[in-house]
Amino acid sequence: MNSKDSLSNEKKLDRRDFFRKTAVLSATALAGTSIFAADDPAIIGKPDWSQKWGDPVTTNLYGMPSAYEHNVTRRSTELLSSGNFRASIAVTPIHESKGIITPNGLFFSRSHGGVAQIDPNEYRLMINGLLEKPIVLTLAELKRYPSVTRIHFIECPANGGQEWRAPQFNSVQFAKGFMASAEWTGVYLKTILEDLGVKPEAQWMLSEGGDSSKMGRSVPMDKVLDDAMIVWGQNGEALRPEQGYPVRLLLPGWEGNLCVKWLRRLEFAAEPWFCKEETAKYTALKPTGKAVQHFYANEVNSTVVSPSPEIPWTDLKDGAVVEIEGLAWSGMGTITGVDFSLDGGRNYVKAELKGLVLPKSWTRWSYMHTYKKGEKLLLTSRATDDAGFIQPTIDQETSVMGVESVYHRNAVETWEVTENGEVNHVQIRS
Amino acid sequence: MFKLDRKVMISASVFAATALFVVGCAGGGTGVSKSCSSTGLASIDGGVYYPAVNGKTGPYSLDTKASGMKINNGRIPTANELKAWDTDVMADGTGLPEGSGSASDGSDVYDAKCVSCHGDFGSGGAGYPSLAKGNAYTLKETLLSQRSKEGAEGPVRVFGTYWPYVSTLWWYIKDGMPHPMTGSLSDDETYALTAYILKLNEIKVDGVVVDSDYVLDREKLLKIVMPNVDGFEPKIAGPNALPGIRAYYANPSNFGAQKVKLSERCMTNCQTSTAKTVYVQNGGIKDFVPPMATARDLPKVESKEFDSKKSYEENCAACHATTSMGAPMFGNAKAWKSVKAKGMDAVYANGINGINGMPAKGGTALSDTEFKSVVDYIISSSK
Repeated sequence: MNSKDSLSNEKKLDRRDFFRKTAVLSATALAGTSIFAADDPAIIGKPDWSQKWGDPVTTNLYGMPSAYEHNVTRRSTELLSSGNFRASIAVTPIHESKGIITPNGLFFSRSHGGVAQIDPNEYRLMINGLLEKPIVLTLAELKRYPSVTRIHFIECPANGGQEWRAPQFNSVQFAKGFMASAEWTGVYLKTILEDLGVKPEAQWMLSEGGDSSKMGRSVPMDKVLDDAMIVWGQNGEALRPEQGYPVRLLLPGWEGNLCVKWLRRLEFAAEPWFCKEETAKYTALKPTGKAVQHFYANEVNSTVVSPSPEIPWTDLKDGAVVEIEGLAWSGMGTITGVDFSLDGGRNYVKAELKGLVLPKSWTRWSYMHTYKKGEKLLLTSRATDDAGFIQPTIDQETSVMGVESVYHRNAVETWEVTENGEVNHVQIRS
Repeated sequence: MFKLDRKVMISASVFAATALFVVGCAGGGTGVSKSCSSTGLASIDGGVYYPAVNGKTGPYSLDTKASGMKINNGRIPTANELKAWDTDVMADGTGLPEGSGSASDGSDVYDAKCVSCHGDFGSGGAGYPSLAKGNAYTLKETLLSQRSKEGAEGPVRVFGTYWPYVSTLWWYIKDGMPHPMTGSLSDDETYALTAYILKLNEIKVDGVVVDSDYVLDREKLLKIVMPNVDGFEPKIAGPNALPGIRAYYANPSNFGAQKVKLSERCMTNCQTSTAKTVYVQNGGIKDFVPPMATARDLPKVESKEFDSKKSYEENCAACHATTSMGAPMFGNAKAWKSVKAKGMDAVYANGINGINGMPAKGGTALSDTEFKSVVDYIISSSK
């Protein structure tokens, strides 16, 4: 293979060719770059950390992020809060997210009566109702069941729910951060039920929390016997209190509200319970006057996360080659692809999926872009899943759901890049 | 004996639902059949079902020996333990205990324990929901209202206009209210509060509008037909609920979703000519806590000194900055003079232990010393 071929045919690039190609490109790049800048003090200087003792390894026996990362935090707002931030939500900084796992300390936190602090020695899980045998389990007994580990996002069905009528948040953390993703460890509920013998007339399971709000939801047996899990592990350690320590229910792909935290009791019955959080709330009112209840799975969805209003392109130079990155997810299956638009959804091209592509999981996607200083863009993404769903346009979704349904908004999102490189959350509507 | 074998499940009556969707796949339904044939079976939620096949579910390997075992951890709960925790209430009255209470008694309990968050006559406040907005039967019509245009009134979703069953209210009050001390109300108090909230919503029982003298009990509660009992879809009650739910989510047009053949999705010229860009107005919502920032710098060292003014604003103002919560209003010299007349020791103690609608320390986690300094700040600012 001669050098001309290696440059023109990237698919055949082998290791030797790579160095040859890089050498040619580097020479070109150097020629076009100012290399006569002043000396960088970060290189010339000698900061303390480069010369003095560091901290003993015993300083942080449970490691914490660098102090310089203090702005990477969950955030809340009065609008979404009552009870002095107790019946409230703090959302995940997805503009800072990488990969498909959220650090436990940044996992979005929603509670209905504050974050309970439960003594694991006093923890009990009661399972009763239409069973041959009701039981009580201690935490140790629960953890002795054979474990399974799965990567799943959990999403509040009100993610984006403030924006049915118009965009409200010029922030991706607040517009789309009512969700996060983790590797969960627990036991399939069906494994425990092997011991208990579910009576044939049982169609429903009540899951109830042990915190002050006693949050409850009814779950159909289909999900219980499919992939429902009782989890105690999150990214290799115990659940955080904000995620229901010591135990929560995980219904992969389904509304976060159904994944009851501080789980205390499961009961089986022939009829559902009409819990407060499946009637008064978490029901999606349509223009017909009827509301969708038991709206289980979060539908296929996606967003650009980089650039963002939080971390824009104001520092990008003309001609910079930059990665536009996003997340796609579906509670109904596996992401099959993401289409990407630079003109607000008028024309699409295929974006590239990156890394692991798993069922009911965040999936990373990417699009390489050569930035032209002063250009104005409307970045829109549109995901599809293996259940056959595609994200609707805003017009398509509101034509059925109206603008009052609060929950399960999954229309395409658009992010405007201004001529200064600032990024704004916008919507494209007719 | 019950076995969690999917084939057994299908033959069992409980899994008529499962059987139905298998037929749906084989019979070649519309949207469902595609996902059945290509990537797996359809699930009750409209999505893909990933069966355990050849030791795997989707991309995950399974220890197939971990299923079908009798592990038998734990023990059977005692009758008293079941009684303590099995307190749910169902729409047919299962779990609803005997008891009674009048709307006027409910009004007293409300003023003592509920008004600080839910406002006078359930009008709402401090971020908490309204419990009533007037006649529920009239206001139910607003469920057809959409704020699609500027200035339009939206739907009124309160207990009377929206909730399908009274049993839900009774159960939620009993187990989940009031927030600072849940599970503290007696059955009779719960009946009384339920009666009061029915009265605020002008709900009828057997054709009679609930008034102050109305005494609610178990039998009467179960007779109440809420205005919006038929306001929800899909139906979730009854023996055929699960197949009905499956059928509902098999149709994307029921819930605003779109299905498409990948080869047929729009890639060019996908917008109408009227498409326009809509912006966040006036900067939008941005009172973020903490404020938005992305700098990589060292955090500012916060003053360790306790700021009683700031603490008042964060913890107390929601109730004390207004008269509507029934609390003495910040700055109202007369109101605080009569509080102070009890003696400061009593004032501190009342605040620390809670009084009337105010929870202990206003529901804060302040130390006694910090709490007292906030009380001092309020009183010194209300002369």
